Amino acid sequence: MPQLLASQGVALACLLTTVVTYFVSKRLYKRYRHWWLSPMIVTPACLVSVVLLFAIPLPTYFAYSHYLSALLAPATIAFALPIYWERHLILRYPMTISIGVLTGLFAGLISSWLLVKVIYLPPELSHSMLVRSVSTPFAIEATSAFGGVPDLTAMLVLVTGILGMLLCAPIFKLARIRSPLAKGAALGASAHGVGAAKAAELGQEEGVVASLTMILTGIAMVIGAPFFAYLLV
Amino acid sequence: MTISINQCKHVCQTLLQVGLLCLLAFAAQWLVDRLGLPVPSSVVGLAALFLLLALNWLPERFVAVGATWLLGELLLFFIPPVVASIHYAPLLHQYGVSLMLTLVAGSACVLVSTGFVIDRVFRFERRRQRARRQFGVLQPVKVGE
Repeated sequence: MPQLLASQGVALACLLTTVVTYFVSKRLYKRYRHWWLSPMIVTPACLVSVVLLFAIPLPTYFAYSHYLSALLAPATIAFALPIYWERHLILRYPMTISIGVLTGLFAGLISSWLLVKVIYLPPELSHSMLVRSVSTPFAIEATSAFGGVPDLTAMLVLVTGILGMLLCAPIFKLARIRSPLAKGAALGASAHGVGAAKAAELGQEEGVVASLTMILTGIAMVIGAPFFAYLLV
Repeated sequence: MTISINQCKHVCQTLLQVGLLCLLAFAAQWLVDRLGLPVPSSVVGLAALFLLLALNWLPERFVAVGATWLLGELLLFFIPPVVASIHYAPLLHQYGVSLMLTLVAGSACVLVSTGFVIDRVFRFERRRQRARRQFGVLQPVKVGE
């Protein structure tokens, strides 16, 4: 009985540590604005260190923390609101947005698919890789159709976001992509939420286009996943 | 530290609205299970909420605060699965270099191709819209013909 209580205590402490680390790192980033202080990097790094340092078994970590992941479902539904708010923009640029969504979706799928043909990766990784450029709740939903592992997918999506944030400036310069709207859509399609946040720094309309591209690409990925999986895997 | 009544109200509002969105998520899950729909419940829920808003059946202010909070803290909700990926640490260690190579090359591909295509399409679409607008100025709508 005391052992059970202790493990419950550790599980509860894990949930609290996760939430506290997240909000503290968010505040830190707001104050100092260094990319390496981004909560995307700091929070997982701290928590992985804690779990490894105290040798906390993963089931214990998850006992309460999984309630946090459960909020991904209502969060996905919440994406209806930005679409509703910006519906006039979809009507104004229907071609730009629909072609952007399709290009982003297929560029993400096909580039990863071709790359893992050339560079060997074990199936857990290569299958989780395919959906990594869409937003996490959609990626986690879609990945099982491709035979991917949800946990690995979440990690790959996160790394993809960080990469998008770091790569976008030099790549836009090299490829001579200048129109802000194109930058926004490219960021939204390749680096999901991170890209949308970065695009919002470029301008209001860019930010909106980026988040619309991101959401619609995610929806298209989830709906199309069984079909794409049939073609590619 | 003092907490004003407004802040308290905001927190309560957020909690209630997040609860409402959770209810919607449960309802969507139930519906998908019941009818055996091939579409995931999250997309069904998203479409349902959009329709409710678009048809003015649900006022926007009933969900706006909760939805904004959920989307703003999205990262928090997928921290646990990211931490769980340490289960695959040996795999990540062994294939770290190939993995990073694939990720960087893939991201670069998506950025370049999407950016390039949209750059062209957007210019075309804007030109077309301007042309249409000019057309409208030159030939005003004939009334009473």
